Amino acid sequence: MTGVKTDAIMKTAGLSVGYNTEVILADIDLTFIKGQFISLLGPNGAGKTTLLRTLARLMPPLNGTVFINGIDFTRFQQNQLARTLSVVLTDRVSPGLFSVFEFVALGRYPHTGFLGKLKEADEQVVLASLSQVHAEDLICKQLDTLSDGEKQKVLLARALAQEPQLILLDEPTLHLDLKHRMEVMSILRNLCREKGITVVASLHDVDIAAKVSDRVALVKDRGIVAWGPPEETLDAKTVAALYDFDGVSFNPALGSIEIKGNGHKGSVFVAGGIGSAAAVYRLLAKRGFALTTGVLHTNDLDYHVAMSLGAKCITLPPMEEITLKQINKARPLIKQAGYVIDTGFPIRALNRINTKLLKHAIAQGKPIFTLRKGEDIRQLVHTNSNNLFLCQSEIQLLDRLDTYLEQEKKH
Amino acid sequence: MRERTICDAKRHRLLFVLFTAILLISVAVNVTAGSISISFDELLHIISSHDLETTNGFIVWKIRMPRAISTILGGGYLAVAGLLLQVFFRNPIVGPFILGISSGATLMVSIVMLTTLSLGFTALAPFLTTLSALVGAYATMAVVLAVASKVRNTITLLIVGLMMGYLCHAVTSVLIAFAEQEKIKGFVLWQLGSFSGFKWSEINILFVFGGLILILVYGLSKPLNAFLLGEEYASTMGVNIRLFRFLIILCACALAGMVTAMAGPVAFIGLAVPHMTRLCFATSDNRVLIPGAVLLGAIVTGLCDLAARLIFSPVELPVSSITAFFGAPIVISLLMKRRVSV
Repeated sequence: MTGVKTDAIMKTAGLSVGYNTEVILADIDLTFIKGQFISLLGPNGAGKTTLLRTLARLMPPLNGTVFINGIDFTRFQQNQLARTLSVVLTDRVSPGLFSVFEFVALGRYPHTGFLGKLKEADEQVVLASLSQVHAEDLICKQLDTLSDGEKQKVLLARALAQEPQLILLDEPTLHLDLKHRMEVMSILRNLCREKGITVVASLHDVDIAAKVSDRVALVKDRGIVAWGPPEETLDAKTVAALYDFDGVSFNPALGSIEIKGNGHKGSVFVAGGIGSAAAVYRLLAKRGFALTTGVLHTNDLDYHVAMSLGAKCITLPPMEEITLKQINKARPLIKQAGYVIDTGFPIRALNRINTKLLKHAIAQGKPIFTLRKGEDIRQLVHTNSNNLFLCQSEIQLLDRLDTYLEQEKKH
Repeated sequence: MRERTICDAKRHRLLFVLFTAILLISVAVNVTAGSISISFDELLHIISSHDLETTNGFIVWKIRMPRAISTILGGGYLAVAGLLLQVFFRNPIVGPFILGISSGATLMVSIVMLTTLSLGFTALAPFLTTLSALVGAYATMAVVLAVASKVRNTITLLIVGLMMGYLCHAVTSVLIAFAEQEKIKGFVLWQLGSFSGFKWSEINILFVFGGLILILVYGLSKPLNAFLLGEEYASTMGVNIRLFRFLIILCACALAGMVTAMAGPVAFIGLAVPHMTRLCFATSDNRVLIPGAVLLGAIVTGLCDLAARLIFSPVELPVSSITAFFGAPIVISLLMKRRVSV
């Protein structure tokens, strides 16, 4: 075991998992360090659950070995294993008439005596487990009266009551609403940070996984296609390949997934920047416009959102002043676009010249939809053009744009 | 929380005391009531003086007492066997005979009662039915255990048990088709089950072996509780699934087989009493349910046997008909009020 840190809680060596003779994942070499949050990512059916079940010794490995604290895990007694490792599975659990306290107390199984009688210390652990998942208030409730989110927290508390060093979770946020999804993730995160428990979870939200994980394993094509810190592993290309993304993209800088529009309503030029355009971009993409935009610094939020949405973008490096060179590059885009949108971007030293984009638009007779106040826009572009539409909000802007589009079609 | 746990424990203890009292009363009624009525005072006298000489003394000691005690033991064992299998298969409509125990016993009994094969064993004649039922039940159990050690899936095991039942039934019906009319009646009556005619020797056997198994079962209540979460969770909590599976099937079948051999396949108790126990005690904790099921099984069986004797006295109804007739509606109404669960 050379090169393995001593605080490796679990390590797989040449592990193959699957059913009977059918190999689902082969040659898995992963090392889970104490206190780390490890996410297994991959499309449905890739074998994440099979891997987790094998790691939990619920099914035998087809090949290779799993080491827990440096010891081959087949040499563990069932009880000994249960004190090291606990699980939260996706199976529906309906054990009947149990209060939340009694249910969580079942997790003390590997620690209690012959008849499972709870000692004072066991009760303390059960209470502590419940408070770690913020479920103290559920303690007297019957298990079958809980909501999905509450039940998941209680299942997690039961796993914690085993006092494990490692928790394996299969899709812990499945079926949960946003509140509970976030709550469960932050609870798991705290377990790693505060209790030094290693958490291995299969997740389907790549954006959340990127934010909470210390390591991610990308599971696809009968193996682990990538393994490492999410900051290194999860780039837009890898994630797109992992899920066969089409019309969707993952942005590591934003840590979010953007859905590209199909652009069937034609091209729009957005004059934006300094974070003023992100919402407009998403709305336009959602309503089916193809995006062109500029001129943006490459550290601008607008830049990241625009790129994720597949926009054609005129850019320059951060902190440089925008010059006529970029403006001239943007002119053909304005020409191609049916409409121009002014996001009401703040005008500062570095982007002052962006106002020229609007002047070009007027000169080319493009309709301008603006979020700027009337007097402000008239100071920028000296025109009384009928092509100027003043809008109060992004939504209103999009509605006006759609109305305009329909009227244009009629003529 | 502590207060609540203590409160639960108190309530359970109260229920145990209550049910024990009801059980004692039902035994007293069982022993005193009948075609010859015996007063309570006389009963106390007969018991304290160990009177076997008088007619009433004979009735109490040789007929009614064995019968009352056998209903207690039989009912309690069947209820526990049902409870075990309901938890094991995580299925609320499973009973103690689901793995073919009663069918195996029935087959062997039909061979003895309906054919002439038994003519050679005249020495064994009085015990022949019991013995053959025991052989049938435990042979079935052996097959099921052998299958269980090979098959991992509990559903497969369940289906194997059901199929065993069908196979035994098929052979039994062939035997019935060829049997003489009078023999069939005796056989049909045996099939309906009865607690009459128990001997003290049989009760001793039932008490000792059944009691040992019950102690073992109580020792299994911790893994049984873990098993309520499903086999996978149980396994990750430290349950040795293979050993546990073997012991559960062994205990359930041994208990059910024992009762079936002596009283015939008494229906319904093993299916319904576990539900009644869960609802009465409002818990799924098997440490409470196992003794609870013993008590309730004994009470229900005792009362049903009483009804079977008295309703159309002197004609005695099959106890299975009473258990089903009164029990089924009770279970339905209990379950309608609360959600069905194992």
